[in-house]
Amino acid sequence: MSAAGPASILIVEDDPDLLTLMDMILTESGWRVRTAPEGRAALALAADEVPGLVLLDMRMPGMNGWDFAREFRARHGRACPIVVVTAAENARRRAEEIGADAWLAKPFDLDEVLSMVARFLGPAGGERPDADR
Amino acid sequence: MAIYAVLGVAWIAFSDRAVRLLVSDPDLRTTVQTAKGSAFVLVTAAILFFLVRRSERGLRALGAEVRATVDSMGDAVLIVDATPRVVEANRAALQLLGAASKEEALGPLAEWGRRWQFRSADGEPIPLERYATVRALAGETNVRYDAILRRSDGQDVFISVSAAPVERPRGRPLAVAVLRDVSPARRLDEAREEFLATAAHEFKTPLAVIKAYAQLMAKREPAEGQALAVIQRQVDRLSRLVQHLLDTSRLRLDSGEVTHERFDLAALAGEVIERMRSIAPRHELRLASSGPATVLADRDRIARVIASLVENGVRFSPAGGAVETRIEIGRGEATLSVRDGGLGIPQERQARVFERYYRAHAGTPEDPGGLGLGLDVSREIVQRHGGRIWFESSPGEGSTFHFSLPLAGEKA
Repeated sequence: MSAAGPASILIVEDDPDLLTLMDMILTESGWRVRTAPEGRAALALAADEVPGLVLLDMRMPGMNGWDFAREFRARHGRACPIVVVTAAENARRRAEEIGADAWLAKPFDLDEVLSMVARFLGPAGGERPDADR
Repeated sequence: MAIYAVLGVAWIAFSDRAVRLLVSDPDLRTTVQTAKGSAFVLVTAAILFFLVRRSERGLRALGAEVRATVDSMGDAVLIVDATPRVVEANRAALQLLGAASKEEALGPLAEWGRRWQFRSADGEPIPLERYATVRALAGETNVRYDAILRRSDGQDVFISVSAAPVERPRGRPLAVAVLRDVSPARRLDEAREEFLATAAHEFKTPLAVIKAYAQLMAKREPAEGQALAVIQRQVDRLSRLVQHLLDTSRLRLDSGEVTHERFDLAALAGEVIERMRSIAPRHELRLASSGPATVLADRDRIARVIASLVENGVRFSPAGGAVETRIEIGRGEATLSVRDGGLGIPQERQARVFERYYRAHAGTPEDPGGLGLGLDVSREIVQRHGGRIWFESSPGEGSTFHFSLPLAGEKA
């Protein structure tokens, strides 16, 4: 997982409009972003290069967030934080269910997304700090 | 009976006199009187025998009638004695359990509970002393709850149980339980709630998209900031309505999903009010508290209760003005009150304000809209935390809504 340049963020989200927008604002902030519309495609991307952070929707056609998280953890361990981005009524519970590191409840503020990313990856576009969590 | 009484009295009064008049020989008279006495005893005994037999036959017929009636009932009926032991089960009970024979449905109550995996509606085992019939035997007159049991074919059945003591002056104490299969109603309920939850969930994703793009545009086109702020405000409002729908359905669907954490109610109220300033530009949102009020509760849900009460304060005071939130501590409770100087609630509508879907101002010129869910959800949430919710209101002067939660203990 030692790719050159800034850490990459993997966004897994089935709504193309929301995916485009999150891609746009994070790219504009200097992050390297890869996107997938569901879990299986996301796993393929993660196999090429383990991301620095995953932003994960839960309800998706194809492989859903629960199955993705289980498979992702099995393959890549707990080093990469997962942030659940969900419209579910109890976002925190969804996050606990899959052992995620944090959650964002839809609808969210753009600033919340940016500060969530900064919380795990440090200042925008920078190297990922080697913080022990 | 009456004829027998008259004849009996006449016999006692006149028979000796008649014998004296008719029989002059003293020896013969003695013999006749002895025979008369014996006949009297025999006739009396015979009459008593026939009377007893008739009433016995009547009782037996009544017993058979009662049994046939209980057997014909569509609801399952069990009779439990003080042992406690299931001593009788009707035909519907055997059908409900899927029992092959009556013997299978009878027996000691504890064993019965294990045999049929008798559980509360949320799946927890029910201790014997909480069984409806045991409580009825202890004197409770109208015990009622929902429970689950597993039929002999392995299928779970949702049942509504009600029990009462059998009232009779003599004899061993008994309790009667009526078990009603509510599975179809329950499944329909679950399907409806699940639909509601899914529908609400489906609403939130487009709301998230609209909100995010409005925010993006607001960053890029500062000139349109005001218009975009309106879009965001309305999206937030729609989100809250959707959240209310979710809460009403979810709260009824999964009773267990209430998390508890320690937090300061006053600090939470401060956060909620800060977030709400944007939806109430014409109102003055005030907060008063005498210090931290630590409670052990579901933070997100309590935040929704506060938001609901403050939002009501704003909505129902269309002329603007102050909406004051106050947190007080006393008698082991934290009490949060939201006071507005708005429309108030007409006296005759006050009793119904906590009802689901009820809107006290519906159809009036002041009707500010809404789904009639906020207070219903709030009450549900507060009661689940062992708290209370209440209000005072005078038309034209405004309303004050309060809720209280038990203060958290010292331990972290």
